[in-house]
Amino acid sequence: MTLGILGPEVSWYLAVAAFLFATGALGVLLRRSPLIVLLSLEIMLNGANLALIAFARHQGNGAGQIFALAVMAVAASEVVVGLGLIVAISRRNLDLDVDKLRTLRG
Amino acid sequence: MIVAAWICLLSPLGAALLITLLGNGISRRGAGYLATFAALVSFVCACIAFFALWGDAPHDRSHYSTVWTWLQSGNFAAGLRILVDPLSTMMMLVVSGVGSLIVAYSVGYMDGDDEERRYFAYMSIFVFSMLLLVQGGSLLLLLAGWGLVGLSSYLLIGFWQERPSAIAAAKKAFVMNAFGDATMALALFLLIQHTGSLNFETVFARAPGLASNHWLVNLVALGLLGGAVAKSAQLPLQTWLPDAMEGPTPVSALIHAATMVTAGVYLIVRTHVLFELAPKVEDLAAGLGAATLLMAGLIALVQTDIKRVIAYSTMSQIGYMFLGAGLGSYANGMFHLMTHAFFKALLFMAAGLVIHALAGEQDIRKMGGLRRLMPRTYRAFLIGALALVGIPPFAGFFSKDSILAAAMHDGWYGYLLWTAGLAGTFLTGLYTFRMLFVVFGGEPSAFVREHLIRGRRHGHGHAHRGEGPLSMTATVTILAVLSLIGGWIQFAPLWTPVTDWLRVVAPTLPHAEPASWQEAVSSALAFALGLAGLATAWLVYSRRRLAVPRFAFVQRVLEHKLYFDEAYDLVFYRPAVAVARLFVRVVEPLVVGGSITGLARGTRDVARGVSEAQTGLLRTYALAIASGLVVLVVVFISVK
Repeated sequence: MTLGILGPEVSWYLAVAAFLFATGALGVLLRRSPLIVLLSLEIMLNGANLALIAFARHQGNGAGQIFALAVMAVAASEVVVGLGLIVAISRRNLDLDVDKLRTLRG
Repeated sequence: MIVAAWICLLSPLGAALLITLLGNGISRRGAGYLATFAALVSFVCACIAFFALWGDAPHDRSHYSTVWTWLQSGNFAAGLRILVDPLSTMMMLVVSGVGSLIVAYSVGYMDGDDEERRYFAYMSIFVFSMLLLVQGGSLLLLLAGWGLVGLSSYLLIGFWQERPSAIAAAKKAFVMNAFGDATMALALFLLIQHTGSLNFETVFARAPGLASNHWLVNLVALGLLGGAVAKSAQLPLQTWLPDAMEGPTPVSALIHAATMVTAGVYLIVRTHVLFELAPKVEDLAAGLGAATLLMAGLIALVQTDIKRVIAYSTMSQIGYMFLGAGLGSYANGMFHLMTHAFFKALLFMAAGLVIHALAGEQDIRKMGGLRRLMPRTYRAFLIGALALVGIPPFAGFFSKDSILAAAMHDGWYGYLLWTAGLAGTFLTGLYTFRMLFVVFGGEPSAFVREHLIRGRRHGHGHAHRGEGPLSMTATVTILAVLSLIGGWIQFAPLWTPVTDWLRVVAPTLPHAEPASWQEAVSSALAFALGLAGLATAWLVYSRRRLAVPRFAFVQRVLEHKLYFDEAYDLVFYRPAVAVARLFVRVVEPLVVGGSITGLARGTRDVARGVSEAQTGLLRTYALAIASGLVVLVVVFISVK
């Protein structure tokens, strides 16, 4: 069964979600500041969340919404860890530049 | 009877385990007594089994007893099963009877050795293995006993492990015996393949069906003969036996004279059905026996170690047994085996008394004049020597001459063997009495005087009085009596209980059944030639009327034992070492080591190349993931 969708078609939601995801991905790939990278990650996650919720409404299935809640919780904890790392890096007076943090080079 | 046979088999094993497990909890002497007791129990049980068997009807004298099946594979099953029949009881009596005497003798001989307990544990293991060999109810158990006697022989030859020569001798014996074990195992595999069983009665019942396959029956008989030849120190695998004299003297008496080395004869008699299918191999066995008896007799003439002389005479006497068994005169071979066990154990043990009194000296050139100082030992040795040469009424006369008579009845080949056997009796008389006159005759040598007379006067060197402790002299006396009367139980063709007893298991072949005149001629000639040998030895070594003839070349060849050791060294040892060196130099660095280091280097190179991809740049990773994802998506969409 389908719930009546108020507002635009599901494809519009997906277009916005794809736009958000692409913006975030570009940010992750192009920006050097870890703070901005983290921010862009959040935008990607939100794009994905939007798609989840749009499909959930379209299918009339609550699971997608619950999943989006879980993603938010994960995103929040990720931000905590990521910001913590960034604070630690700046405390050591290291450059806040992801290209210079390459101690894991083989 | 079956219960007695099982006790007979297991009692020495029990003694060995007990001595091993108790460790220091048992005194050294206690270990000796325990081992002697166990061997005596075996002997009593063997007697019980023998008399019970005697009570049975002659055609009903084979009793099998299986405890459990320990190996099953398809149709093939092998159980722990023993066989009590006339042949096995005869061997049981010899092994446990002579064995218990020799173990008792060891109590005195090994007194004071640091590791008496180990010695008696090994000795008990040996008696057990030998009983397993003769009592086993299938060829598989026979082979198991066969291997175990090889092992205990190895352990006992190398008993004095601080002597490098003893270790080398033990290894030599083990390797040569392992060769025989291997050929025997191959023969057994063929038998399993073609008869589906290793149980005696099944194999012997089905074997005649294989007779049309000449290759097969010849190979099986050859494999068994290989085992017999290696164990019994016949040509061409004889070189280990003289070296085996590195072991303690009672070991030489028990293993390398009385019981183990005669196992080859037992094997031929036990599997005579298989050998009769391959008459060529039987002739080969007889021929090898004849060649060995001549060769060993010649070499014994120049040996200077008292135990080695007796060892070569053992080889020579087993040659007679092979001659008898190969001709099909099985009962005579077994009879000679029995009398030989008596007089050869006696000779070794009397020699042991001499060696014991002379603080371990074995070189007969240093001995002399012992007759006056050790009269009882002299008498025992003399009885053993007369029995060995075959002078009536001593034991060897009755058993050896029947074998010669059997040879006489077998065509031109038989006459050839007969001549060799007769020449052997002359040599036997010569080398035996050469040893006797050199060791016991004449005036005491300086060496002997120093050890026996001075040692006694000052009351040191020997804790006991007389010629040896009671355990040694008493057992020697018993064996001397047996060597005297042991032959009287058969005097072919007038009186043949041994042949009758063994007829159910191994009937004498018709062509080895000599006529009475042949018996008489053989006996007379063998007796005369034995006496001639004795007289020659007397003239040369006692009266010194004749000088020892000098043929430098012959003597050198004989002292080198016909260069068998050197030949084996050249043919087997050196090439093996050369090939091993080659492998060390070429194959090891290139193939074995090379493959390992190559593998390691390759892994390292690959890892280094792959690690280039690990830039540490976070954004590269992200790009890689993203582009990978894009590729996946494109692929999935386009495929759909």
